Amino acid sequence: MIDGIFQQFNEWIDSRHEYAKAWKESNKGKVAGYFCTYVPEEILCAADILPVRVLGSHEPPIVTEPYIFAMYCHFCRDCLAQGLKGKFDYLDGIIEGQSCIHLRQAFNGWRLHIPIDYAYYIYVPHGIQTRRAIPYFTKELAKFKESIEKWTGKSITNEDLDRGIQILNRNRELMKKVGEFRKTNPPKITGLEAMQMALSSQIVDKSEHNKLLEQLLRELPSRQLDRKSDIRLMIIGSEDDDRVFMKNVEDLGATFVVDEHCTGTRYYWDNVTPQEDRLAAIATRYVNRVPCPSKDWPELTRVQHAVNLAKEYNVKGALIIQNKFCDPHGIEIPPLKDALGQVGVQTYPLEFDVTVPWGQFRTRVEAFLETLTGLEGLF
Amino acid sequence: MASAVEIKEYPSEPLKCWDQAKNLRKNYYEDYLHAHEKGGLRWAGGAWAFSSIPAGLGEDVYCVTGEPYGATIAFFKDFASKCHEATEAAGFPRTLCAYMRNYWGSILLDKFVLTDGTVVDGYPAPDFIWQDHICCSHSKWYQLVRWLEKKKGKDVPMYSVDVSVGYPSDLAAEEQYKVDYIAGQLSDGIEWLEKVTGRKYDDRLLCDAVWNEMNATSLWAEVCALNQAVPAPLDEKTMYSLYVMGTLMKHRPECVAFYQTLRDEVKDRIKRGIAAVSTERFRVITDTQPPWGFLKIFREMEKYGAVSVGSLYTFGLIGMWQYLPDGTWVPKPVPPKKPQTREEALDAIVRWTMHKPEWAHFYQPELKTQMMESIVKQWKVNAVLLHYNRGCEGLSVHIAENRLGLMQKGIPVFPFEGNMGDERDFDLQGTMARLTVFFESTGLRKLKE
Amino acid sequence: MITAGVDVGAKYAKVVILKDGQVIARAKALVGFDLLKSATDVFETALKDAAISRNDIQRVVATGMGRNTVVQKPPINADEAVSEVVSAAAGAHFIVPTTKTVIDVGAEEGRGIKVESGKVKDFVINERCAAGAGTFIETMARALEVQVEEMGPMALKSVNTIPMNAQCCVFAESEVVSLIHSKISKEDISKAIHDAIAGRISSMVLRVGVEKDVVLIGGVALDPGFKSPLEKELKANIIVPEYPEYVSALGAAVVAANPTR
Repeated sequence: MIDGIFQQFNEWIDSRHEYAKAWKESNKGKVAGYFCTYVPEEILCAADILPVRVLGSHEPPIVTEPYIFAMYCHFCRDCLAQGLKGKFDYLDGIIEGQSCIHLRQAFNGWRLHIPIDYAYYIYVPHGIQTRRAIPYFTKELAKFKESIEKWTGKSITNEDLDRGIQILNRNRELMKKVGEFRKTNPPKITGLEAMQMALSSQIVDKSEHNKLLEQLLRELPSRQLDRKSDIRLMIIGSEDDDRVFMKNVEDLGATFVVDEHCTGTRYYWDNVTPQEDRLAAIATRYVNRVPCPSKDWPELTRVQHAVNLAKEYNVKGALIIQNKFCDPHGIEIPPLKDALGQVGVQTYPLEFDVTVPWGQFRTRVEAFLETLTGLEGLF
Repeated sequence: MASAVEIKEYPSEPLKCWDQAKNLRKNYYEDYLHAHEKGGLRWAGGAWAFSSIPAGLGEDVYCVTGEPYGATIAFFKDFASKCHEATEAAGFPRTLCAYMRNYWGSILLDKFVLTDGTVVDGYPAPDFIWQDHICCSHSKWYQLVRWLEKKKGKDVPMYSVDVSVGYPSDLAAEEQYKVDYIAGQLSDGIEWLEKVTGRKYDDRLLCDAVWNEMNATSLWAEVCALNQAVPAPLDEKTMYSLYVMGTLMKHRPECVAFYQTLRDEVKDRIKRGIAAVSTERFRVITDTQPPWGFLKIFREMEKYGAVSVGSLYTFGLIGMWQYLPDGTWVPKPVPPKKPQTREEALDAIVRWTMHKPEWAHFYQPELKTQMMESIVKQWKVNAVLLHYNRGCEGLSVHIAENRLGLMQKGIPVFPFEGNMGDERDFDLQGTMARLTVFFESTGLRKLKE
Repeated sequence: MITAGVDVGAKYAKVVILKDGQVIARAKALVGFDLLKSATDVFETALKDAAISRNDIQRVVATGMGRNTVVQKPPINADEAVSEVVSAAAGAHFIVPTTKTVIDVGAEEGRGIKVESGKVKDFVINERCAAGAGTFIETMARALEVQVEEMGPMALKSVNTIPMNAQCCVFAESEVVSLIHSKISKEDISKAIHDAIAGRISSMVLRVGVEKDVVLIGGVALDPGFKSPLEKELKANIIVPEYPEYVSALGAAVVAANPTR
């Protein structure tokens, strides 16, 4: 039964476009694509819009060369490539929650070159550690809400916002509860399965996703994973949806028991705490959540969070996935290595691109795992 | 026959205020280096940081902003190479912002390079960091400066201002909350400055500094506007040594005074028909920072009679501009009244800064394309050379869209890849070979040597 | 009127002799360290094939990476040098008068050229990366232990798509070794290599835009495995003229015949 659940998550990811088209047909609703986890999906759900995260295809983004300089990350180019190739032709709108410079090029490229009904850029503040951010962002969200209302022709009431908050909160809570089962030794789900769970939540109607998560939670306590080895790994990075990489590493005899990256736990770690002013409540969540490094300054709070996760999940080693050309994440590699090293977690950085050369990576990962098991002591 | 041609020459002469410019910059670096000896303060931050704010702490507060320092390092390629090695050995990816890596390298090597290339021992750590966050790296840059200094046992307090409110070109009434967001952070920042320095803040000095900044940046735009003359009285390579004052000390009265002197001299050059490049016959503009270690590319272009008369980068990184109702792009005049109170000063400098031309393309490439098109028309430009700069995400963002936009307007564009701060990423010979092909395709041939 | 075009490339020197608009001789040979000597040897072979002497030729134009080595240097004494972009455009237009896009892939450079009536409107050249040029295929052939000429036919036999992380020639070679160890067939690997190079070239050409008729020239055009993935990426039919490796030299000869260009 559990295998069937993860199979469903996987199918949702692989057939995401068919899913979205079918949802549109049966719900007669709008579908809005977004790039970053700073887009407040609560407001979109409140407006009965299906938010879907635009992800890449892991094929070289050849068609974007005229629009984005190739020194910007593969993810932003791959996302735009999907749009240019017509894969997302069912989208009614495209929205970006301000984060990095790379992805705003994907947003603007979409806005300028792909026919779309609605395009909106939310000026999510970067100054998340300043006391001025929440009041400012609350006003930004008010503008965004007004824009959505104008687009859909429907007001968004407080009750609608409560509903949106409740759906998103529930989805996050459930995924975090599933995450608890990774603390056991051995863990009850693999890193690949966790990725399938997290990715699919960013693609489908969360009400459906919640039902499957509830079923998963009922069955997990009795699950025994047949895993050969107990090397507990963490994966840390920016956007990472490379399921093939996860499987390849886990086939070598290690298990990813936790992650800190923006398609994983960072997406669902924090909830909205309800308050009278719903927009302020949502603003507070997005300002105070585990941050993208592009916003995490002057203190390195995300590094500390990664260390906390490593301790909580009893991690032995961490693979740091650096998407080539990503400045904010790349900048944090030395402090991350340092901080994790201080709590006894060894790290190994790997530079990711649109495709991953498994041949070369296998050597590196195997060598890293050998150092974790102490094999180098034999020599 | 050989492909060289003969051409008539304009009269040319060096700038009279050249030495003044060199000395201003040299003294500024040395004042920063020796600040503590005179009981002064020194701070580190970016060229876009609101430098007029720390000025309220006293007359003896110095900074050397990160981007000019990163560029200085890049100019001296041997030292730059050591900085790259040190940064990479410390585990930083080499694809990061080149200025930032140069700067960190200087800290890691514990050395400081002066404007004449002299390398002195001991990186002069700042007393505090005062920054703003324009690209993904800007605050992170100094966050890591802080981290590196902490490893050496020094705790450097840091404050950074978020300016990511977009490019509100008119700052309409309903966007007052955006101004308040930034001004509020500046106001909190002043309290923070008092706390970390133990000094009492002087609003009068703040108002003076804000007024100086507005004047300096308006004056620099005036200087750039004068380059619409044919022949151009200045060439872009020379302008780099002049605009840098605005990146280092735009809030200082000596910067205002210098730009007044410069403006008057340039007017005089135009009156007398003095050209920057005597063989001018093909005018180009560039874009983004140049490859600092290879500025001789401008001299190579002159062999074809091609002169770069500026760029949006040179004009608009420091200069302030506006569109008139008839569509002409002109220097922005300072407001009619100098701010008199802290609140007035903060509101004024936020409104002024948010209108910086180089801020527009972070959000909407069309705005930059429009400004570049205006420059092409008004400065009588024949072609645009776009530096696809691997060293700077912020200024290269949307550059491909700008290229498309300019080409759609029928403007010849030559893109070339390089790096403003990492000499390993720029191929001078290869670029010149491609540029030769470009010039040939426009009908330009090499001049008689 | 008899003119000649001398293309001194990174790997080969090529010469074409044109008489009143007809090609009367072609010759090519590998270049050695002494570019002038290599070019001269090829030039003299072409003269012999055409049964003429240098004095019979009114104008000679040189092109290619080493073009300046033969300008006003006996015995070739080229009158002028033009870039390979200009010569490629002129040559492609001469053969296919409706040419609007030229893709020129040589040993070390790939070029995309927008053409209007034989004149260059816009162009793009690969930047410091050989993963979009002939050297890439040669290096991969070595890794697969086959002759370069076998690479194309092998690729055509494959029906599988295996993505290659072809950012860099050197890393790609290492990746090919991994694929071999994974027991992927040589045919599939060769196709992957061709797909990768087509991807790199397409990405570059898209910067100038693709407008028909699209003409593919240069040494790599001789590789039968290259055209198909390129057509797929660019979504365009591609014309490969006879003797594609000579088109630049031909273009130089055309330029020589039209001195007002």
